[in-house]
Amino acid sequence: MGRQVCIASAGFSEHASKRSDVSMPELVSEAIEDCLNKAPSVDINDIDAFVNGNMPAFEGANMPELWMTDWMGARNKPLLRITTGGTTGGSVTIGGYYTVAAGLPGIDTVLAIAFEQQSQGDTSTGLASVAYGEISVLNSLGITYEQLTQLLSAGAAIGVASYQATNYMRRSKITEEDLARVVVQNRHNAAKTWWAHLKMPDLTIEDVLNTPYISYPLRYGMVCPASDGACALLFTTEEKAKELCDIPVYVNGVASVANETGVLGYNGSGAGQLDTSEQLGAMKSAELAFNQAKISFPRKEIDYAEVYSPFPNQELMWVERLGLFEENSATEMYKNGVTAPKGELPINCSGGVNSTNAIGASAMERPAEAALQIMGKASNQVPKTVHNAIGHGWGGIINLITMIVMGDEPARKAK
Amino acid sequence: MSKRTLRKSMDYIKKDYVRTRTMPGSWYLSNYKFKFNITHFKPFLDKLKEKKLVGLQCSSCNRVFFPPRLVCGKCMVKPDRWVDLRETGRVASFTITYLKDPETGDVLERPIVLVQQDGSDTTFTAELSPDVDYKDTYIGMPVKIHWAEDLKGGLMEILYYDLVEDDSKDLELRKD
Repeated sequence: MGRQVCIASAGFSEHASKRSDVSMPELVSEAIEDCLNKAPSVDINDIDAFVNGNMPAFEGANMPELWMTDWMGARNKPLLRITTGGTTGGSVTIGGYYTVAAGLPGIDTVLAIAFEQQSQGDTSTGLASVAYGEISVLNSLGITYEQLTQLLSAGAAIGVASYQATNYMRRSKITEEDLARVVVQNRHNAAKTWWAHLKMPDLTIEDVLNTPYISYPLRYGMVCPASDGACALLFTTEEKAKELCDIPVYVNGVASVANETGVLGYNGSGAGQLDTSEQLGAMKSAELAFNQAKISFPRKEIDYAEVYSPFPNQELMWVERLGLFEENSATEMYKNGVTAPKGELPINCSGGVNSTNAIGASAMERPAEAALQIMGKASNQVPKTVHNAIGHGWGGIINLITMIVMGDEPARKAK
Repeated sequence: MSKRTLRKSMDYIKKDYVRTRTMPGSWYLSNYKFKFNITHFKPFLDKLKEKKLVGLQCSSCNRVFFPPRLVCGKCMVKPDRWVDLRETGRVASFTITYLKDPETGDVLERPIVLVQQDGSDTTFTAELSPDVDYKDTYIGMPVKIHWAEDLKGGLMEILYYDLVEDDSKDLELRKD
């Protein structure tokens, strides 16, 4: 068992569809500045190692960590880049956790940074370049690229998500109004968060339902934006964290689990997930992380959750699969206000990925926001005291899930 | 495709940013040579030319992959048993794409489905017959392969899926 790891601080840059005022390194240093401002006794020189990552090929600039070193303050210090697609942020968070937990001599304080400036490049080309190596086998089997983009609804993430949405809607018998309700809650929450992108304080369910379909059952108003932004998390040991901040956030469990792919199989084969809303990988990763954190009944013990949900159907699905609600009951919870900031189990009080999506950073913003809620420093702070919280991320062809379980005290030791 | 369909912009609180220097640039992406092992596809494609369907079965967990897969992720075993499959299947999931016809400018609603072939344990993306109204698509819909007329070899010999007309009562139950 490694060392107990704590989060001492978390920072964000401002998010917008086009951060035309900054370059990519400036965006990153904005998040680092905010992170260090929240823990005043830490200086950039006190940081021993750096872990960073973004989605490859989205900005048309590869290996940004090498020419960004000075902006991160990582000169002559251990530097590691992790990139796993949509879960990049989650993997970077886990990477930062591992770096501290390993207990290497001289490495106690680690800064994890995830960023994305999507306005710099072309997201569709980026996604295609990520996936093309795998799907090009289908071209050799006679399916042209044009036909393939049609089959996957233009090839973007919505292509796989809309299949999942249809599956989930049938399974839990919900309507589009229920989906719109989730969007409205998220965008209202985003309006109270200083760094969020789509701030819509006056959005109504009708407004969302009046927008045209992008891909049934997902409408234009339900889909996440493409944002520019960065996020930074400060990991340190238990002893140091107590000096650095009032309420250190203990990282009690981490997991990253990949299941079989949905919609598209490896090498042009059939996909193993018959029902893409079943999500056995998410259940497994939740089980692993909760076991590490000694949480046996997440429904009662978790006080706050940040789930990675670019599309509203996924938010409903993940909270069920991660064990926060019973199956097919999430819609009722959103109707009754259980998931609102003042409710019993607030979910995505930052507006979630549905309101802000800087892809590489998104999965890190989830644990970062959850950590700030525990510390009591979040900009849309929930009124109740948060003891345990989760940050979740998904990526790949709906098959890779990252989970981070945090608490205001360390996991109970086994008797 | 989202850009081609009609869009209504939604209002949100925007902040104006000063512009920093922006340099437009473009990449000429080189030619790549991706490597695949598709030896397991050969018997499958040969049978497809004869309008016959075969799936590859994992001898450890008995799951049938259609189209075939080189490795079963569950057991880490090479599936090696070929099984015959029927032409029918069921819709495991579907979505509707909204494509604008470049000539007439009409938005075409086309259902795109994930089909689970009867006897197999995997799904594959396919198109539905143009005769099927997109509003009638549902999960669990019985479908049947419509073969292409000129066989070129390859997966596109399955042109699209036709709806199977079936009056049996249990289907109505499945439709909810």
